[in-house]
Amino acid sequence: MMRARLFLHVASLEARKAMTYRVDFWIQAILGFAVGIVMPWFLWTAIFAESGQEEIAGFRFEGMVLYYVAIALLNKLIRGPDLLSAVSQDIYEGALSRYLVYPAGYLPFKYAQHVGWIAPFSVQLVLFGGVVLFFVPDPATAGLSWTGIVMAAPAIAVANLLFFLMSYPLQAVAFWADNVWSLGVLLRFAAGLLGGGMLPLALYPEWAHDALLWSPFPAVFHLPVSALLGRLSLAEWALGLAVGLGWCFVIFAIGQLVWRRGELRYTGVGI
Amino acid sequence: MSTTLVGAVAPIRAARAAVHSPSQKAPGAPALIEAKNLSKTFFVHKKQPGLLGSLKALFRRETVRKDAVRDASFTVGEGEIVGLVGANGAGKTTLVKMLAGIIHPTGGDATILGYRPWERDDRLRQQIALIMGQKASLWWDLPAADCFMLLKEIYRIPDDRFRTTLDYLVEQLDVGDELHVQIRRLSLGERMKMELIAALLHQPRVVFLDEPTIGLDLTAQRAIREFLLRYREEHQPAMILTSHYMEDIERLCKRLVIIRSGEIVYDGALQRVVETYAGHRVVTAHLRPTGEGRLPMPEKLAALGEVIEHAETIVRLRVPRSEVAAAAAAVLEAFLVADFAIEEPEIGTIIEKLIGRQGADVTPPAEGEEGEGATDR
Repeated sequence: MMRARLFLHVASLEARKAMTYRVDFWIQAILGFAVGIVMPWFLWTAIFAESGQEEIAGFRFEGMVLYYVAIALLNKLIRGPDLLSAVSQDIYEGALSRYLVYPAGYLPFKYAQHVGWIAPFSVQLVLFGGVVLFFVPDPATAGLSWTGIVMAAPAIAVANLLFFLMSYPLQAVAFWADNVWSLGVLLRFAAGLLGGGMLPLALYPEWAHDALLWSPFPAVFHLPVSALLGRLSLAEWALGLAVGLGWCFVIFAIGQLVWRRGELRYTGVGI
Repeated sequence: MSTTLVGAVAPIRAARAAVHSPSQKAPGAPALIEAKNLSKTFFVHKKQPGLLGSLKALFRRETVRKDAVRDASFTVGEGEIVGLVGANGAGKTTLVKMLAGIIHPTGGDATILGYRPWERDDRLRQQIALIMGQKASLWWDLPAADCFMLLKEIYRIPDDRFRTTLDYLVEQLDVGDELHVQIRRLSLGERMKMELIAALLHQPRVVFLDEPTIGLDLTAQRAIREFLLRYREEHQPAMILTSHYMEDIERLCKRLVIIRSGEIVYDGALQRVVETYAGHRVVTAHLRPTGEGRLPMPEKLAALGEVIEHAETIVRLRVPRSEVAAAAAAVLEAFLVADFAIEEPEIGTIIEKLIGRQGADVTPPAEGEEGEGATDR
């Protein structure tokens, strides 16, 4: 197990690296946030206008837009950048070799880098979150509260860990297949579609909604965003966290198995 | 200098058996690295060239078995630097990767400081280092100082020891001014020096050096060689060095392991290779001009040895080692000599022939084989 001191050191280095290229940092932040809000805005404006309804699946228009704003704000904190594809790149290019020589586990090392990389995005979260709050006339009516923020914090942590762990065994497929970029895209798509990142889960048929709640995906977006917007009871929140953590253990075990089998095939190309 | 070496018979099995003899290690030095019949087989996919080949490969790929290392056995003792040489693709790096714990072997066994390297016990990883000349191991976007601080945490180096070791290494390699420059902005030589510091910060007892001077200019190569010698002197680690630069091998290693097509074909003293294969020496005499424009006594020269060069003011002869003294005396007596030299063939040339780079049909000597028996015929 990696020591806390080393974990923090690695995370701190990665955070510094993420802030080294500030032009890229801000362009990514602004564009990502703008696209994440503008597209749903136009889409749901059209849907609400066309349907003539004031509420769809329990969301009024403002509530729906706020849902997507929350997704846009939390997206980077949960999924991180493309660092996860760095695992398959390490295998493909042989850069994994250096980590195998160090007396530190590769998985915790990568997670420390992952956490370090997303840490600067909390600055973006505070800044853009402040801007959004400025435009929300009545935060309490929109469901925003300190209780929601407190409930969202552990849910975001679980979502981040779960998404990282889900990526890990997929990236380890690179031991067999070399290039696994498509699997990363597939995971992002699945997490977005089945986890509430593209559509609120309330829009799905009831049977699908109920079944999905037991899958790992809702813990990625649905749980933290719904907690933040005050859309979960305490029991729903606790159950969602428990399911998310349970999947963390299961997927971690699968990841370890895949990694151990795959590692036997590692050739350390490039040296 | 050209040396023709043909068919000196030395069974590879005998060479391998000799590998296990205790005399392979430096006298009294405990073996820190032990490999026994270590083997690695890869299965690689082959694809026919062109669009049709790519289309076919989508459905069916040809797999080819490649025995990268076969039954490699040897030991390395404390304070030894062993040169591992072989042509490209001979299996040197694969062997190093197995010993460093990067890849798993297909067969055989190895221990480093008593641990199996591919089991990656942290107690072992605390004591080994791998330097890859062709692959950067430091973090590209960070200054070297930040990388070293990270390694301090990874290896749990106490503050005072870290400071002392870093100061020592920085001073030895003269890179004090570059410590706070991003790695990617350093020259190749400076980067390699930083890689060396990074690898040695935790004072490893076993060091694997894979092409540490590749691509460096002569000054940087020399600086790194001198540093490695000093480091060996002061810390006595077991080192395995692979390099295509024969000067690295000549300057740093007293012992040589030659690997060819995955098999160790020689393991013994570097000097022994010279003694065994340098069956001839070259006798050169610069003559005082006679003004007669004639070539001096060709019939007498041919009796002394193979005439390499023959002009009015110079004579070069290739003479069997055992007849050098007589040939030298004859030349000195027969000519008016202004300058005189007896040259050994270059070690690099001999080794290059042994590893097969020049395509010579050569079987290297087994330990215990008499030098004369393996000389050119």
